[in-house]
Amino acid sequence: MTPPQMLPTTPGERPAAYRPDLLLALYERMVRIREFEEGVKFLFLEGTMPGTIHQCQGQEATAVGVCAALREDDFITSTFRGHGHALAKGLSVQELLDELFGATTGCCRGKGGSMHVGNMAKGMVPGIAIVGGGIPVAAGMALAFRMQRTARVVACFFGDGAVSEGAFHEGVNMAAIWNLPVIFVCENNLYGASTHVSQVMRDTHIARRVSSSYGIRADRVDGNEVLAVYATAQSAVAQCRAGNGPVFLELLTYRLTGHSRRDPCHYQPKDEREAWAAKDPIRRFEVTLKSQGLSDDASLEAVKTRIRREFEAAAAVARRQPLPTTQDLTTDVFA
Amino acid sequence: MRLEIKMPDAATTESEIRIVRWIVQPGQKVARGAPLLEIESDKAAMEVESVASGVLGEVRFQAGESVSVGDVIAVLEVDGDAPADVAAEPTSATPAKAAATRSPVTAKPAVRPATGGAGMFARNRAAVEAAQAAVAGIPLSLAQRTTAQRLQASKQTIPHFYLQTSFNAAAIMARRQAVETQPVTWDAFFVLAVAKAIRRFDRFRCRLDGERLVPAGTDAIGVAVGTEDELFVIPVHAPAGKTVADISDEIRRGVERLRGGDQEIRRMQPALMTVTNLGMCNVERFVPIINPPEAAILGAGKVRPTPVALASGELGVQHRGTLTLSVDHRIASGRYAAAFLEAIVTELEVME
Repeated sequence: MTPPQMLPTTPGERPAAYRPDLLLALYERMVRIREFEEGVKFLFLEGTMPGTIHQCQGQEATAVGVCAALREDDFITSTFRGHGHALAKGLSVQELLDELFGATTGCCRGKGGSMHVGNMAKGMVPGIAIVGGGIPVAAGMALAFRMQRTARVVACFFGDGAVSEGAFHEGVNMAAIWNLPVIFVCENNLYGASTHVSQVMRDTHIARRVSSSYGIRADRVDGNEVLAVYATAQSAVAQCRAGNGPVFLELLTYRLTGHSRRDPCHYQPKDEREAWAAKDPIRRFEVTLKSQGLSDDASLEAVKTRIRREFEAAAAVARRQPLPTTQDLTTDVFA
Repeated sequence: MRLEIKMPDAATTESEIRIVRWIVQPGQKVARGAPLLEIESDKAAMEVESVASGVLGEVRFQAGESVSVGDVIAVLEVDGDAPADVAAEPTSATPAKAAATRSPVTAKPAVRPATGGAGMFARNRAAVEAAQAAVAGIPLSLAQRTTAQRLQASKQTIPHFYLQTSFNAAAIMARRQAVETQPVTWDAFFVLAVAKAIRRFDRFRCRLDGERLVPAGTDAIGVAVGTEDELFVIPVHAPAGKTVADISDEIRRGVERLRGGDQEIRRMQPALMTVTNLGMCNVERFVPIINPPEAAILGAGKVRPTPVALASGELGVQHRGTLTLSVDHRIASGRYAAAFLEAIVTELEVME
C-alpha cells in the first residue's frame, strides 16, 4: 500500500516569489490548527469535552493553502472533520471552542457541535457530516452566485471516501455541464474511516478519473506542501472567477490521528505512518521558512507558544460559557 | 497539585471500559501526551495519553478491572507548570455537576451521569460485581466477542468436513528427548510439518473471495493459544525456513507477550492456516472450527502408547498422536485434503 506518486511541486521550490508576511501568515494558521486539535484532544481525554471529535492533525496544509486563495466573501463547505477548514477560513478559536463545549456563544449557538462548525458571515457553511453531502450543496451555491452575477466562488472540501458516493457524481457533473465556479477539494488521506482507497476504487488516481469522466481540469497536488496547494488553488480560483469552472483538486495528505477520538488507528501500517509523519506539513514549511532566512527556530517556537497560550485562554473561557436552555429548544431549527 | 485522571469517553455505547495494563507505574514520571495506560472498549483496544505532565500517584483500578466513563482511575501529581485551565478547575466538581450549576436544564448530551461512580467500586467491589453478575450475567470482553462472532460466522457459513488420522510420533519423541535444556514445544513440530506440506497444496494457500480463490498473501502459520478465558492466534512467519527450535522459541515468546498483556500480539493477524493442540490437556481427539478466512485448521490430540499392527503382521506398541483436519469444502475436495493430511503425517514422521 504505497502512497500514489505525486506531481512535482514546482511552486513550493521557489517560495521567494511570495511576500514574507503571507508565508508567515500561512505558517501561523497551520500552527493554530495543530495547536487547536492537540488542545482539544486533551480536553477530550480529560473528560471535559463532550461527544466524539474528528481531527485533522497532519492535514493542515490543505485547508490553509486553499482558504488562503479565497476572498472573505467566498464560501467553503466542509465535513465532519471541519476544525481546520473553519480556522483556515477565519473563524476564531473562541467561537469554535465554545461550539465544541455546546455553549450558546459558539459559532452555531451550541447546537452544531464539532461535526457542524461554520459561520455563514465568515463564508463557511456549517459542516455537513454526511459523507459527500456538501458536494451538491456547493454546486447549488455556485449556481446561485452565477445567477446573481457575482464573481464569488465556492471551495468544497471532502475526503477520498466521498468520491464513491452518488452525490459526488451528481454535484460534480452538474457543476461541469454548467461551468459553475466551484473548486472541488478532495483531501485524499488514503483512508475512508478505516478503509484504504485501494479497497474501494480500482484506479486510485482520483484526479485522472475525474478529468476523464467529467471533462474538467483536475490536478493532483502534494497536499502536505502548503505553497503547492496555495499556488494550485490560486489558479483554480482565478479560473472559476473567470467563468471557466469547475476545477477539481486532489490533495494527497495523511491523517496523523484516528478517524475519531475513539479510533486507535491500528489499520495504518507503522512504516506508512512514519513515512507520512516525516512529511508533516508544518515541519516541512518550517524548513522552507528557515532556508529562506524568513525565520529561525526561536521565532517559530515563539509563534507556537503564543498560539498555545491563546488556545488555553480560550479554553478556560469556553468551559464557563452558558449552555442553551429549554427556551432555546425551538429557535434556529426548522423541524 | 493532585490531578484526578478520569476514564475518557472511548466507547461507542454505554458499556464499561476495561483497563488492559498501566504503561506507567505509580511513582514513575509521565509527560503530557505520553501513553499512560492501555484500555479496551466495546470497539477497540487503545492507548490513553496522559493529559498532563507529572508523577503517577495512586492507581485506583488495576489491569483487568472495568470502569465507567468519567470514573477517576488514578491521581497524577502534576508539575508546577500544569495547564492553567486544568489547574483552575476544582477537581471536586465533576463535569456533570459543573454543567448542572451553569444551566437549570441542560441539553448537553455527552456528559453522562456516572453509572454507580467510583464510590460503588471502592466500597466492596467484589461483592457488588458478584451480585451484578448474578443478575446481569458476565459480559464478554472485546476479544471474547470478536472470537464469538468469527467462530459463529465460520461454523454457520463455511461447509466444514473433517478428516482424521494418526501419526507415529517416534521421530518427534526422539528429537524432543535429545534436547537437554528447554524441550521443543509440540506445537512447533505441527507448525513446521504444516508449513512444509502446504507448499505442495496450492488451494490451501488460498482464501475464497466471492467466486474465486485468491492467494492468502501471507506465509504465516498460526498457533491457537488460550489464555485464562480468551483465545488468540500467534502467527509464526515463514516457518518452513526455520528450525523447529526457533519456531518453538517464537511461540514461547508470543505466549509470554500475550500473558504480559501486549496489545500488538492480541490483535488478529492473518495466517495461512492455524494449528491447535489439546494433547497436553489429555484430549484424545477433537474437531476444531476453521479460523476464517483460512481454508483449513489442524487439531492435534494426545500422543500416547498405542497398540498397532506392524508391517510384519505382529502386534506392537508405538507412540502415536491423533490429527483432525477441518477443511472448507468450497476450497478443497476430500481427496485433495486427504493428500494434504497424508503429507503432514509424512513430515511429522520424518521430523529431525
